[in-house]
Amino acid sequence: MQLRNKIIISLVCAFTGLMIAIQFQSTQEPTERDTRDLWEIRSQLQVEQKKQQQLYQQIAEMESIKDQYEAMSEQEQIDTLVDSIEELEQKAGLTDISGKGILIHINPIYVEMDTEQEYPEISPELLNRLINELNNYGATEIAIENERVINITPIRYVNGKTYVNNRALPSLPLQIKVLAANPERLLDHIEVSQSRDYFAIENLDLTAEVSDELLLPKYEGNINLDNLEVNESQETGEE
Amino acid sequence: MWLPALFLVVGLTLGLLTNITIPDQYSNYLSIAVLAAFDTLFGGIRAHLDGKFDDKVFITGFFFNISLAALLAFLGVQLGIDLYLAAVFAFGVRLFQNIAIIRRILIEKFNQKKNEKKSRK
Repeated sequence: MQLRNKIIISLVCAFTGLMIAIQFQSTQEPTERDTRDLWEIRSQLQVEQKKQQQLYQQIAEMESIKDQYEAMSEQEQIDTLVDSIEELEQKAGLTDISGKGILIHINPIYVEMDTEQEYPEISPELLNRLINELNNYGATEIAIENERVINITPIRYVNGKTYVNNRALPSLPLQIKVLAANPERLLDHIEVSQSRDYFAIENLDLTAEVSDELLLPKYEGNINLDNLEVNESQETGEE
Repeated sequence: MWLPALFLVVGLTLGLLTNITIPDQYSNYLSIAVLAAFDTLFGGIRAHLDGKFDDKVFITGFFFNISLAALLAFLGVQLGIDLYLAAVFAFGVRLFQNIAIIRRILIEKFNQKKNEKKSRK
C-alpha cells in the first residue's frame, strides 16, 4: 500500500513537472535575433549614408545662408529674410502660383437606362485617390475648384457634401488644376490611370488636357501647427 | 519521499527536452491546470503527513480539479468574465493553507524527535 501510494504520487509529480515544463516553454518568448543577411545590411548602410549626405547638404546650405546674413548690411539682411519668407510661403502654398500643368475636367456620364439616374457626386475617397495618384506621378501643386490642396488640406464628407479645406465643393462639373514639371508625362499617366476606372464606376468622366498657363489660388486660412510634435520614435516597417 | 521528487525532475526534463509548446491562447488553461496540480499535490502531501492519504481521493482530485479549472477558464472566456480568477483564488488560498499545515506538522515532528533525544539522554 505504501509503495503503491508512492508510485501514484510520483506519477502525478511527473505529470505536474511535464505541465510546468510545457508552460515554461510556451510562455518564454524567443529572443529576437538580427536575421538580416549581408545584402540587407549593405542596403541599410547605403540608406543611412544617403541620409547622412542629405543632412550634410542641408547643413552646408544653412551655413551659406548664415554667412550671407553675416556678410551683408542690415537692409540686405532684411531683403534676404523677406526672400526666405516668400520662398517658404511658396513652399507651404500660401501664395498664388502659375505655371505649366494639366487641367482635369470631371463631368457626369449619362447612361441610357430604363430607371432614372441620380446626378453623380464626387466622394472624398475618389478625390483622395486621385490626389495620391497625381502626387505619385509628379504633380507639384494641386487646386480643386479654386481650393488649393496643401499638405494639411482636409477632404471630408459632411452632410452629403464633399468638403475641401472646410468649404463645400460645388456640384459637377469640376475642374482640377495641377502643376507639374513635366505636364505631358503627367497627362499620359492620367490617361491610363486606375482613377479613370474608379471614377467611371461612379458615373464620372475624367478628361485632362495640358495647359501652358494655369493660375492656382493660394491657400486661404490659417495653418495651425500648434499640436504638431516631432515624432522621435523609430519608423517601423519596410524601407 | 525521494521518489516523487525524482519523478518531478524527470517530468521537468522530459518536458524541456521534448520542446513541446502550446499556442498562446491556450496557455491560460495550462497555467490554471498547473496551479490545480500543485494544489492537489500539496493536499496529498498534507494528507500523507496526517495519515489520511487515500489514493482514490488523490487521483480523482487531481484530474477533477484540473478539468474543473480548465472548464472554469473556458467558461470565463466564453462569457467574457475572468472566471479563471476564481480558480486562481481558490487554489491559491488552499495552497497556502496546505503549505502552512505541512510546515506545522514538520515542525511538530522535529520537536518530538528532539524531545525524544533529550529524554534518552
